[in-house]
Parts: sequence; C-alpha cells; structure tokens
Amino acid sequence: MSRPQTPDARLLASFIPVTAGPWLSEADQVFDAETVFDYIDGAGEVYRSYNMRGLVARRFHKDGRPDLVVDAFDMGSAEDAFGVFTHDLDGEDAAIGQGSAYKAGLLSFWKDRYFVSVYAEEETPETKALVLDLGRRIAAAIPGTGERPALLALLPPDGLEGGRVRFFHSHAVLNYHFFVAEANVLLLGPETDAVLAPYGSGRLFVAAYGAPAAAARARDSFAAAYLPEAGASGALRTENGRWTAVRTGGALVAVVFDAASEREALDRLDAVFALARGRAVR
Amino acid sequence: MAKTFTRRDFLKTAAAAPLAGAVLPRLSGEPAPLAPSAAPAADRVRVVLVRDPAPLGAGGAPPAEVVQRMLDDAVKALLGESDIVKAWKTLIRPDDVVGIKTNAWRYIPTTAEVEQAIKRRVMDAGVAETDIGIDDRGVLRHPVFQRATALVNARPMRTHHWSGVGSLIKNYIMFTPQPSAWHGDTCADLAAIWDLPAVKGKTRLNVLVMFTPLFHSVGPHNYAKDYVWEYKGLVVSLDPVAADAVGLRIIEAKRRAHFGDDRPLPMTPHHIALAETRHHLGVADPARIELVKLGWDDGILV
Repeated sequence: MSRPQTPDARLLASFIPVTAGPWLSEADQVFDAETVFDYIDGAGEVYRSYNMRGLVARRFHKDGRPDLVVDAFDMGSAEDAFGVFTHDLDGEDAAIGQGSAYKAGLLSFWKDRYFVSVYAEEETPETKALVLDLGRRIAAAIPGTGERPALLALLPPDGLEGGRVRFFHSHAVLNYHFFVAEANVLLLGPETDAVLAPYGSGRLFVAAYGAPAAAARARDSFAAAYLPEAGASGALRTENGRWTAVRTGGALVAVVFDAASEREALDRLDAVFALARGRAVR
Repeated sequence: MAKTFTRRDFLKTAAAAPLAGAVLPRLSGEPAPLAPSAAPAADRVRVVLVRDPAPLGAGGAPPAEVVQRMLDDAVKALLGESDIVKAWKTLIRPDDVVGIKTNAWRYIPTTAEVEQAIKRRVMDAGVAETDIGIDDRGVLRHPVFQRATALVNARPMRTHHWSGVGSLIKNYIMFTPQPSAWHGDTCADLAAIWDLPAVKGKTRLNVLVMFTPLFHSVGPHNYAKDYVWEYKGLVVSLDPVAADAVGLRIIEAKRRAHFGDDRPLPMTPHHIALAETRHHLGVADPARIELVKLGWDDGILV
C-alpha cells in the first residue's frame, strides 16, 4: 500500500519530470522500507539491505506505447546509493549521474544519496531515447554529489577490475555475487561495510567491522568454517587448486579467494593492510 | 557455528551429487552435473510436462481450447486415467470448497486461460460455482478461500531477485499475513508456509505455467522482455517441489543456451532443495522424479 508523501518524498518526487516526451505521468506511489514489498516483492530485500529510506515510483503512459517507470530511491547515504548501484552493473555506461548503466530498456544510476531506475516495459528506439532523457533530467535535478565508500581506497590497484567492484552489508548479497557459504560465516550485518573486487579469476573481500574485537570474531568464524586446515599464514590451497587466505588488522578483515599462488594471495593481503595503515578506516 | 555448506563443499561435491548441482549454487565455470541415475519407478514422483506449439495470444497464453487440452492431457497422464472428469473426481469431491491460488504478477500472470481451464474441471467434478474462488493477493480476505477445503496451486515460474525463482512453493506466501517475514536467508524456509492451517493438506494439484518463463532478472521490477521466451509448456504434479525442480531445470537450461555458459542463478533457489531435505514437503532430487513429456518437443531443454 502506498503511503502519504513525507517532506523527503516530496523532495524526491520533485526531481522527476512530469512528462517524458508525449508520455504523461500517473499519480506517484510512495513506499518505505516496510511497504516496498507491496510494490516490488522480493527485490525489496535488496534495497532494504542497503538501508533504503524511501521510494517514489512514477509511471508514464501513452496509449499504444510501452509504459515508462521511474523508481527513485532515497538510500540515506551516498555510500549506500553507490552500493545498491553496484548490485547490478550489467550494461553500458550512459554517463549519467555519478555512475550509470543501461541495458535492454533499463537505466540505473546513482547520485549523492539517491539511486534511480528508469525502465521501459519494452525497449524500442523511442523508449530508449526517452529513458535516457528522463535519466539525464533527473540527475540534473539532484543538486549535490556524494562520496563513494572509503573502503574502496583499500583495494590494491594492481590487477583490479575497477568497474566490477561491489559494496554491500549483507552476506546474502555477498553470496549473490560470489557464493562463500550458506551461513553468515563472515558475520556481516547492517553495521559492517564490505567490498568484493575481482582480480582476474580471483576475488578480494575486505570488510570493516567497527571494532577490532568484532573483526577478530569474524576472522575466527570464517577461518573455522572455511579454512580450518590453514597454517599460520592463514592461507590454504583449496579444492580447485587455487589459494585462499584471510587476515585481520584493526577493525578490518580481508580475504583473498582463488589466487593463483600462495605468494599472490599473501602479497595482496599485504597490499590491503599497507593501504589501511596509510588511511583512517573505522 | 554449526557446520555450514561452503563454496569449498560445492567444489568437492558438485560433480558427484545431482541434487546439489541442480538446486544448490552452481559456480560460474564449474561443469553442470551429470544426468542423474533414476531411482526405481515405484520410488519416483511423477511430473508431467506438456507443450503445444500454438501461437500465444496477447495475454501470453495459447488459445483457451488449447490450454484446456494441455491441462487435460497432463492430468490424465499424471493420474493414469483416460477420462478427464473421472480423473478430476479423484482429486476433488463435490462438497469441496475450492480455492484456485493464482498469481497476478503484472508481467507474467498465471493467465485467465489456465484459471478457467482449472475451474471448468473443478465444476465437472461436481463443485458448485459459488464454492470456487480464484485469487492471489487477497486470499486471506476472500470468503471462498476462508472456508476452502481444497486448493489448486497455479503460477508461472520466473527468476526472482531474492528467492532465486518464483515457484509453486513460494506461491502460497500470500496465505501469510506478513509475506516479507519469509524472506530470511533468501527465502530458505518457504516450504514451512505449507504447514499453516490455511493451506496444510489442502493442495490437490500443482500447475507450473511455463508459457513464457522469465530466465533472468534485471532492475527493481525483475522483468525485461529480452529474458522471456516462448516455451509454451505446463508442468503438472501432485508434488509442488518436484514440479518446481523440473521448472528450475528448464530455466537453468535456457540460461545455458542463452548466455553460452553455465551461469548460475545469482540467488540460489535453495528453498526448493530445502523443501525436501528440511521440510519434507516433496521431492527435489531429479533421480526420484519421473518426468513424463507430452506434445511438442522442439526446444524442450530437458
């Protein structure tokens, strides 16, 4: 069920044009983190895992043409707007907002604390042009910009595929991108920030736990569940012949998955914590 | 922490365990599991897949008479009965109050053709029209569902952002007052819904609609026309878990054919396997499913 508009929802709605070419808008629907399920069912869990505050949905209609739908999310922070954007990076950069992707009639972008999806129920040359135009106009209406998560600075640049980095809080989202374990062995939760980055066929996971004790618990949990046979180095050659290694430092835990060699795994961990020593990370 | 299934366990077991390969995470780059060895016939659950090449209408279904024939052929094959009314009379009693639990998702609904085909046969089994209800999101408030003694479960299969696939098992989530409460651990325990008083023991037939399945989810609305294809099938069983397991195999096969690699569903639909192993609702193990295929076999994928 849609909710009456709050002041934040009115601000969010003000970013969205009333018309899209000859398409006319219908009445807005407004949702929060509880009512989002009434609108987009299970997909709501993705946005809730990124602390969504609100959603304004506006549908554009023209008889005989596919509908266009704008879903504008207030994610509460630029970090979470960036994060939910990284959940689906499929598509070509449309150069809209602070990061964008377009594919098959769907445009998504983030700017400041907002994540926006503009969607054509059927892609045609006409609807594609309207989707991109709507996106540009919405992005232009959002006044500010926001910072990407600080944790990204701990990703060693050597070998990093920067365009495929994911930022998240939940183990379900981690498993979505790279299955680790059915249980939450890395003890992720709303208060943890985590990144997952590709390095060739390997992955680097880095999480900030807010306190050294919490990081130590997460490291021990992961090691017990995933690397019980690992030696003092925290590295192990796993069933696929590649190397996984875990290390903690301060409030951080870093895991290298599927490195080509033990040396590569350990070197990457060294690089993460060298970067961490050079920066203030919570 | 109790022992948990990890990526390493998958790497150890994927090639050896057909169930794990079919309904637990299959990792990119890992080979698809070998075809399962069948259990003896007496130990297997029957699932019927029926397809017809008739063109689909604007609503995404074949013509009504084609849908009726597909459903009838499937039910007769499922129950081993040559007379369709006799077959339905083994499922439904004249004094039953029947709820047809449909699915009204905007982009790929169950379709009126399937709903009406089911309704017709329920009436042929002797149930008065006033004792038949068809609903999705309103089932808890619907007067027929509130006094229902029997349910027919009918929905399309599609990929789903959180549960992996929208399934027959998941279709009963609207019988709960707070559906979002069942999303934990990516919907692992949806099968437990089937123990709720509103549904327990009432389901007489499961129909998984595969006219235009969605095989890949994008965006908040989960849907893109590019990832829908005309499979033109119905999967019918007394066992919702077995029907879902067959539907999932079809979806996974389509993904392999489309993407050119063995790309797993991003969110593993582990609720199907757990429906068997944890909740004992039905059979997900392909080795214990007898799949009967009827009709059109071009592009059948399984």
